[in-house]
Amino acid sequence: MKTKLLIFILLSISAVFSQTPTAVDIVDRVTNVMSPENTYSKGTQTIITSSGKERVFEFESWSAGKGESSLTRYTKPAAIRGQAFLMLNNADDIWSYFPRTKRVRKLASHAKKQKMQGSDFTYEDMGGGDVFQTKFTPTLLGEETRDGDLVWQVELIGIPDLEPPYPKIILWVRQSDYFPVTLDYFNESGYNTKSLVLSDIEMIENYPTAMTMVMTDNKERSSTTMRNLEITYAWEPPKGFFSERNLKK
Amino acid sequence: MKFWGTILLLPGLLLAQPEFFGYFESEADVMQLGSTRYNFGYNKFRLDVEVRPSDNVLIGANINIQQYWGKTTWNIFDFVPGYAESGLVLNVDLPDTLLLDNFYMKLSFPRFDLTVGRQQISPGVGYAWNPTDIFNSKSLLDPSYEQTGVKALRLEIPLGDRALFTAIAQPEAEIEQSTQQYAFNVGLGCFDFSLTGSLQERVDYSVPILGDMNIKQRMMLGGGLVGELLGWGLWAEFSTNDLEMESPFATFDYSNLSPLTPLPDQTFTEYVLGTDHTFDNSLYFMAEYFHNGLGVAEKDELSPADYLASLGGQSHSLMQDYVFMYAMHPTFDFVTLSTLLFANLNDNSGTFAPQLDWNAFEDTNISLQGSLFWGDDDTEFGLQDWGLRLRVRSDF
Repeated sequence: MKTKLLIFILLSISAVFSQTPTAVDIVDRVTNVMSPENTYSKGTQTIITSSGKERVFEFESWSAGKGESSLTRYTKPAAIRGQAFLMLNNADDIWSYFPRTKRVRKLASHAKKQKMQGSDFTYEDMGGGDVFQTKFTPTLLGEETRDGDLVWQVELIGIPDLEPPYPKIILWVRQSDYFPVTLDYFNESGYNTKSLVLSDIEMIENYPTAMTMVMTDNKERSSTTMRNLEITYAWEPPKGFFSERNLKK
Repeated sequence: MKFWGTILLLPGLLLAQPEFFGYFESEADVMQLGSTRYNFGYNKFRLDVEVRPSDNVLIGANINIQQYWGKTTWNIFDFVPGYAESGLVLNVDLPDTLLLDNFYMKLSFPRFDLTVGRQQISPGVGYAWNPTDIFNSKSLLDPSYEQTGVKALRLEIPLGDRALFTAIAQPEAEIEQSTQQYAFNVGLGCFDFSLTGSLQERVDYSVPILGDMNIKQRMMLGGGLVGELLGWGLWAEFSTNDLEMESPFATFDYSNLSPLTPLPDQTFTEYVLGTDHTFDNSLYFMAEYFHNGLGVAEKDELSPADYLASLGGQSHSLMQDYVFMYAMHPTFDFVTLSTLLFANLNDNSGTFAPQLDWNAFEDTNISLQGSLFWGDDDTEFGLQDWGLRLRVRSDF
């Protein structure tokens, strides 16, 4: 009897530990992993067009509230030096600052779909927060091995009434740390328009961090590589940091 | 003198690890005006320097060197319908310039920012017109071009993250003659609102031939909003103005070049309504409607004095009602195709101007703009036939 009970307990424990999490659980964990409370980073953005032409930008970026507020300021090249973008409410509200005219302008939400400095990232792609949790319905499609890592494949279907950034996204999430290594973006016709691959993943202050992110536009055959040159999650935003005043600095 | 002052300051600025940047810009234009074709253009070099002696202090300055070539002397009457062949001559020269444009210091205190010196001030949310902007005027063919500095003192007090109070003073020899402008901006939901008030005690406009026009007092109350509705960007800007005229500025009877009656005091309203949208195929579209109560309503009521006063900067437009439209699409690698269209709805004249922008190298842009004008020969834009503009700009 005791032996049967022990076997039952061991089997139960084993079942609990090997139980595949639900799609909702995975997306919740992904959101947590991808959204440190605050972030400061310096990076480069390299655009390579379909004809092989290259443009390199450098920027500084700050975010707080798990990506709810962010500010990005370009430092190179000279033509756009000082241009800055303030995004609040998970990029629902965007303000731009153009140093040549000293003007701050509020952009309407349609501007979120514009390419950032002609790159393959839109403003919306740069907005953090809980968009995967709130604007999509997740389904776990399965698991596979990618580059030696066991990953889950999760499908996110946008909830139309909530104006999701894309109708459908497929995530490949590393099982070891819930870090998404690939995101495929689809349009209404089911065409895989863009793909984001996150690599060079390092542990920075207890958060797995992709030091390289490559967004490929599958239609235009162009790509944009974002590289983190410097990043910390220990940065604390001073009061009033995410404001028009600071945007103009 | 100011230039040499800047040169003398440079060694001190160098010690504070200044940042130097700027651009070289060259422009070539061809314009068909009646039976005559003109070539003209300029080469411009702008050098900016910024120094931050500490986190709370920013010192900035820029010098513009601009040399004109081709036709550099223009007879204003060539642009006044009905007077191109009149034999009247009022020449305006475009001399080569060396201008200390902006020259300012910004002090950031915990609760406010104070900027002192010659600085760019660009109030308003409109793109082609800004009824609340009493400092600048814009070219409809290039509304987003940088504006020259204004000697002023500006105080900005943030009131929370989305509210800002701004006070601007443009000092004159007598303190009571200084221009004052106050603005309060606040963000509520997905809209930003602003209220603006300004008082100008004495404004001297230099109007060709008519001499100076002196406004004893100009009081302006205005405001604006920017936000979105049904997925379209939306903005509005308005002002209501009271002009109290001081001197016997007169409209002219050009048949004998004698003054007629002085202009009376005036109250007028200006407003801009605008909208924009980015479509899924990356096409950006923007449109504005502008009404200027100070403008002339009917073409038949226009006099050369109205043209001259408009050219002198008295009014934001010649007539009352205008539209401006702009469409832009990133069509090829680093090539953007755009077009702008603006029209005077009162005299049915306008301009259609397609443009190609090519980011040829990392910091070098080449743009080619054509402009086709329509309307009768006695209208604001119909006077010209066509134009071409090639501009090359390299930033550093």
